Amino acid sequence: MAIAKVSCVRIAGIASAVPAMRVPVTAAAEIFGADMIQKISQNTGIEYRHLTSPGLCSSDLCFVAAKRLLEELHWEPATVDALIFVTQTPDFPQIPATACTLQMRLGLSTSCAAFDVTLGCSGHVYGLWLATSLIAGSGLSRVLVLAGDVASTLSSPGDRAVSLLFGDAGSATAVEKDVTASPCVFSMGTDGSGWKNLIIPSGMQYARYPRDATTCVRRKADDNNQRSAEDLFMDGTEVFAFTIREVPPLVKQVLDASGWQLEEVDALVFHQANKFMLTHLAKTMKVPLTKVPLSLKEYGNTSSASIPLTITTQLREEISSRSLRLLLVGFGVGYSWGACAIQCGPLVAPPVVLVDKSEAWSC
Amino acid sequence: MNEQEFIASIEELLEIDPGSIGLATQLDSLEQWDSLAFVSFLALADSKYGVRVTPTELRASKSIADLMKLVGKR
Repeated sequence: MAIAKVSCVRIAGIASAVPAMRVPVTAAAEIFGADMIQKISQNTGIEYRHLTSPGLCSSDLCFVAAKRLLEELHWEPATVDALIFVTQTPDFPQIPATACTLQMRLGLSTSCAAFDVTLGCSGHVYGLWLATSLIAGSGLSRVLVLAGDVASTLSSPGDRAVSLLFGDAGSATAVEKDVTASPCVFSMGTDGSGWKNLIIPSGMQYARYPRDATTCVRRKADDNNQRSAEDLFMDGTEVFAFTIREVPPLVKQVLDASGWQLEEVDALVFHQANKFMLTHLAKTMKVPLTKVPLSLKEYGNTSSASIPLTITTQLREEISSRSLRLLLVGFGVGYSWGACAIQCGPLVAPPVVLVDKSEAWSC
Repeated sequence: MNEQEFIASIEELLEIDPGSIGLATQLDSLEQWDSLAFVSFLALADSKYGVRVTPTELRASKSIADLMKLVGKR
């Protein structure tokens, strides 16, 4: 397990943005029937999702969040030394990196480093780990972590395992050097043997399973769901088993390394996988549910944006006014996971911004 | 482990009437034994019996008796 302690770095602010279009899960009643929707919704804790429309990308949501955050922080764009864009839904299928276009759109300096990180559920924690490490180890002063996905677009409408699960969101986290900051501790891990259980198998001509005339055809799969090889597949049973196997030891590890007791933690901000899973984790780890904020009801599972979105929607008042001990815990697709024990706040956390389709980049 | 108690917890999990299943009941015959139930069963095994059932073991189970063997393995 990779464990890292990083000193003299703080989170200065967090912002998030979602598409303005808010859709109740009951809108899919025609496909699955009202009873099934209710059963799924009770399990996932999801009642609404904010969904994108064609042309409004992850980068647009992150752009709006970043712009708002820079304004509120009074950070001159030229003072940002690096931009890390974490997504599984970039602007272009292969090249260029979306981070490069975001450097231009945000008016950051051309001496700013910018790169993409292709991770989902664990992505925000990875982004924070990279940002804090770049500041501590490479002498940078300010780094922006933009994490966002339009994961709702990846699934087949006829696949009940995933089609009501994902919402769309973008986020921006501003990280900067601060010699007075308490050290933060990271623990990261990977188990690539789970690659098959959350995957879009095909879709590009020169990839592992080359796209052909049949890969986009939706058929009834073994699990009775309608999907194609170019749609997202999730084996929920395997993913659940992975989570309850890896997450409790991950939390323990990061707590031990930081020297914190579980009781001293103000909130455990989990990747918002689904309510059933998070409730189960809290129960088995003996964490009161009051310390496990959830944004699922209103936003669904928002992939790489779920941790910052949960902070800005559920902990905004607290973290704006005082310092909190947070455990940020991301886990999922890959399998990939990461946890961070960080003392942060008071910090700048504007309310979540609603993004209209007209705000898409007109390139 | 108490057999009656185990069966009752499966009935509760599947939201079916008490007394409607027994150890011999085949899982295939239960309409409620779906992907949500698989996950609920893994959670039950973990929290109530302290056993990490693997999806492979779960897929190989044919009856309520097989499920009981899985949680009694420790």
